[in-house]
Amino acid sequence: MFTHLNVASAFSGHYGVTRPELLVEAAASQGASALAITDRDGLYGAVKHMGACLKLGIDPIVGVNLAVKDLGRVVVLAKGNDGGIGWAALCHVVSAAAKKGKPISITREELAELVIRDGLALCTVLIGQDTDFGFAAINRDRSTAAVALTEWRRFFSAKGALAIELTNHRTEPESAGSSAVASRMLALGDSMGVPSVLTNAVRYLSPDDALTADVLDSARFLEPLGSFTPQPNAQAWLKPPASMVSLAVEITNDRERAQRLLEATEALADRCRLNPPNDCGWGKPKTPEKSTLGIEGNPFEVLWQRAYSAIDWRYPNIKERRLLEIRNRLGKELVTINKLGFATYFLTVADVAQMIRDMKIRIAARGSGAGSLTNYLLGISGVDPIEHDLLFERFLSTERSSLPDIDIDVESARRHDIYRAIFRRYGSNRVTLLSMQSTYRGRGAMRDSGLALGLDEDQIDEIAANMWRFSARSFRSAIAQKPELAMVAEALEKDRKMNLLVDITERLDRLPRHISMHPCGVILGDATLLDLTPVEKSGLGLPMSQFDKDDMDPMGMLKLDVLGVRMQSAMAYAVRELERVKGEVLDLDAIAKDDEATFANIRTTNTLGIFQIESPGQRELTGKHQPTEFNDLTIQISLFRPGPMKGNMIAPYLDGRHGFAKAEYIHPDLEPILRETFGVVIFHEHVLRIFDKMTGCGLAKADEFRRSLEDPRVSASVEQFFRHQAAIRGYSPLVIEKVWEILKSFSSFGFCKAHGAAFALPTYQSAWLKTHHPTEFLAGLFTHDPGMYPRRLLVAEARRLGVNLLPIDVNLSTDEYLVETNGVRMALRDVQGMTEAELERIIENRPYNDVADFYRRARPSRRTLERLATVGALDSLVNGTEYNRGDILARVRELNAIVKRPVADPNQPMLDFELLERLPKGNTAPTKNEIVAAELAILKMDVTGHALEQYRPMLDEMGVVHSSELVGLRNKSEVLVAGIRVATQTPPMRSGKRVVFISLDDGYGCSDSTFFDEAQSRCSHILFNNRILIIAGKTRRTGVNGVSIMAENAWDVRELWSQWKAKSA
Amino acid sequence: MTLINDRVEVSVDKTGSPIGFSWKGGHYLVNSKPVRWFARKQWWVESARVQRGIGAGVLEVEMWRMIAADPAKKQNQFELVHDAMLDVWRLVRVYE
Repeated sequence: MFTHLNVASAFSGHYGVTRPELLVEAAASQGASALAITDRDGLYGAVKHMGACLKLGIDPIVGVNLAVKDLGRVVVLAKGNDGGIGWAALCHVVSAAAKKGKPISITREELAELVIRDGLALCTVLIGQDTDFGFAAINRDRSTAAVALTEWRRFFSAKGALAIELTNHRTEPESAGSSAVASRMLALGDSMGVPSVLTNAVRYLSPDDALTADVLDSARFLEPLGSFTPQPNAQAWLKPPASMVSLAVEITNDRERAQRLLEATEALADRCRLNPPNDCGWGKPKTPEKSTLGIEGNPFEVLWQRAYSAIDWRYPNIKERRLLEIRNRLGKELVTINKLGFATYFLTVADVAQMIRDMKIRIAARGSGAGSLTNYLLGISGVDPIEHDLLFERFLSTERSSLPDIDIDVESARRHDIYRAIFRRYGSNRVTLLSMQSTYRGRGAMRDSGLALGLDEDQIDEIAANMWRFSARSFRSAIAQKPELAMVAEALEKDRKMNLLVDITERLDRLPRHISMHPCGVILGDATLLDLTPVEKSGLGLPMSQFDKDDMDPMGMLKLDVLGVRMQSAMAYAVRELERVKGEVLDLDAIAKDDEATFANIRTTNTLGIFQIESPGQRELTGKHQPTEFNDLTIQISLFRPGPMKGNMIAPYLDGRHGFAKAEYIHPDLEPILRETFGVVIFHEHVLRIFDKMTGCGLAKADEFRRSLEDPRVSASVEQFFRHQAAIRGYSPLVIEKVWEILKSFSSFGFCKAHGAAFALPTYQSAWLKTHHPTEFLAGLFTHDPGMYPRRLLVAEARRLGVNLLPIDVNLSTDEYLVETNGVRMALRDVQGMTEAELERIIENRPYNDVADFYRRARPSRRTLERLATVGALDSLVNGTEYNRGDILARVRELNAIVKRPVADPNQPMLDFELLERLPKGNTAPTKNEIVAAELAILKMDVTGHALEQYRPMLDEMGVVHSSELVGLRNKSEVLVAGIRVATQTPPMRSGKRVVFISLDDGYGCSDSTFFDEAQSRCSHILFNNRILIIAGKTRRTGVNGVSIMAENAWDVRELWSQWKAKSA
Repeated sequence: MTLINDRVEVSVDKTGSPIGFSWKGGHYLVNSKPVRWFARKQWWVESARVQRGIGAGVLEVEMWRMIAADPAKKQNQFELVHDAMLDVWRLVRVYE
């Protein structure tokens, strides 16, 4: 037996090649009873390693490969079975090294301090060929080596704190990695009483992987292969015990000494074997201490008390019967929470939610957590699970014991404030951010592979652009099959490097690439958190755990997803502006959910800017579906998901809803469950209820069944149970057969209703705001840009709604879109090329009296000054005079001609003659078309009028219809529509044929056109390129308010315009 | 040192270690303990394919260094390359 003590996994960024799970499997099959993972610079793969070891019944050993300042690299292994002090010391070593940023290193003093406590070694430091001691040995400098070793021994004198690491990579005799060097290190260690151990400094599982290691080296050094010293050979693999014995003998030239070397290695391995539960807190849930949460006594009693006392808040003036129902449900939920021991967890999340609310930041829950009444009462979720018929069991049950995910959506603009507040509230010893390992995918893998081969970047980009749609693993087969890759296939035949490129790209695919901050995860723990996870600095400056989201559950760590949602920011902004300008205080979370005006507005399909239902596809579905109540929004959002779409659930549901087909419930018992969706199984909750109803298994068990339906290994036993129990309950074989077919095929396509309902809330709220406060709402959308469309489309939508758009004004505009009594003031930040500093100066030095005053005190660059004047931002400085924008522009050009700009000095009376305001007179003011063109160029949006309007005479002559008129036309009418392209989509189709969807905005709304093969070939040259289009086609009615166009042809408006003008001239 | 690249016939002991070889019609007897190591190749210059599973042979090569005596009992240091896959030996260096 041999235990490998130095093994870098793929989580050693750009160094190790093999995933920890594969290394553990291989070691176990070689008969090892333990295996170490020693990633470079961090414990990135440690949890996955421990998990794999536990699964295969071998002991994990964990260490880190770390640079010691000025002295090379060492391996630090945690001692095990010591109640966690070894693991904690290792975590602190890694955190200390990461603290100072890159390159990551630790001083020997600090390392010794952390590793040795009260004369006891908590970790073992291995010094090998990568240290000053090893370098001296390689250089055959015995005296320097002896001095170096003496120093190491002086710092790490505690028993077990230090060992010499011998590695024999069978390199050229006398070179680094050779047995001769190892022999010298061994001899010196023996003479000085420092123990030696044998490792293979493993970087990969098998010799073949050495090629991948070469490429990773290139990516790490940022140099092509051939321009740095590569690894000496392919020996750094996970060698079996027999090979390790031979290597030992080659070093010692003495079987007996080799035996002792191997024994010493095993003795160190034994010392470092970890017991994950006892050493690392594996699987033990950790939450902040009660005192941190401000609670006393039994947490469950506190939770019980808080939840019950919130009933009055959430359900004021409620009837006795419903109150009973609520209490009953709450009681059941709380019993489950108590059984699982999660009371503190819920109190913690509630505490965070309350803190966010106290910061006056909008908050909403997402995911299955919305199905919990407890979450609703604690203010974690804003969706009433009883009203919306949501199930707790989908979220939490005694059948599972993993910590549930509670995801919180907050205003995106305040997310970082919240993170900082969480750190302040719980203390930075209890909180860290979560990290995320990104992996190599097609394009990135190809880039780094190309750089390794020294291909030039343009060439790589060109190939990558062709290949990105295919996973790197299937490049070869894609090249053989796809006609559009014929060029690549040809290149492969001719070009050797291209072949290498494809081969190494396939090798890199899916390897970890780099670590970054998880976009929304926060870990909350108790005061021991930093003893359990190493941390490093995130991009945000706050400490971040080296573990990722998959590591949380095994480590018993509580992860809270605090996700920034721009729509929440946009809505908060609207509410704030409403109060600021009109003094109207609005509680968006308290508005009634049955406002008819809101639903009527949604039904028009003018849903731009509304959360979740503004995409072309959702707009089309809105036209067909015509929602009338909140639950309809939940259903619509849930339907428009990959699962229900693949499961073909939309059409049967709509048929049922509109009475085209009679709803089929299979059995009267299922009618109450499926009535809301006309017999179509859409929600996970449906599946749970059907299982429960027909087998009496209980909802908790039912959710386990639902989860296992996708797993063919267990679904057979679930089927047996279902058939048997349903038969006992008297359901006919036909009913059982039909229901089982549905459960089996639909379950994996379904959607969690609680999640849909959680999303429907901001959908409804944003629709309500758009209906009742369009000015404030659009100002919020402009400012926080939450949707999928460019801002100019929202501007067009504002104009369509009659919201007044006020031009940029240097005396009034800021970096936000402020609401004024008569409209929305455009913001300064849209002026292309304006710097942050210019913007600040403009705001700071207000008000301005005249153009020269603005020039002198705001000190804009020439370009910015001219741009501001062009879009009318200086117009207000001459308001009420005989001057126009043409005169202002003339003055601006005069000022811009001054070679040496005068320095602004507020104490000096202004004497400079040039700056005395004297506007030229009689210049031509720009026309409206010129103004719109200038706005599009400078602001990237048409504020004063719609960009299409300039072509109106031609469009009218051609008989182009407004998009708002389409709904009044008969089915299959021949029409022409025009507009600015706002979306182009080519979704994958079942038939494999490409279909192109183009949405145009013409100032009256949006039109959506579909191009099939033939139409595509007619206008292929403009299909993806031109911005302003005319499309000819036939209307296709899809629903009451749904009309789309089957396109036949399309033209470039500007091209037609120049022909038209030539003709009419 | 002279660089050579000649195929040679090698006789080995049961561990695979050379005991003698024939070169240019002469027979050379190994009279030191041969040292084996693994050197590397620049596959990005030499190879056509490096797909997964192609094996380390694309990257590394087995080298042997030994003292051997020619029929005239003149001793020199020699380096041989062994392609283990094809069991082909080449003499690459002589240190004179």
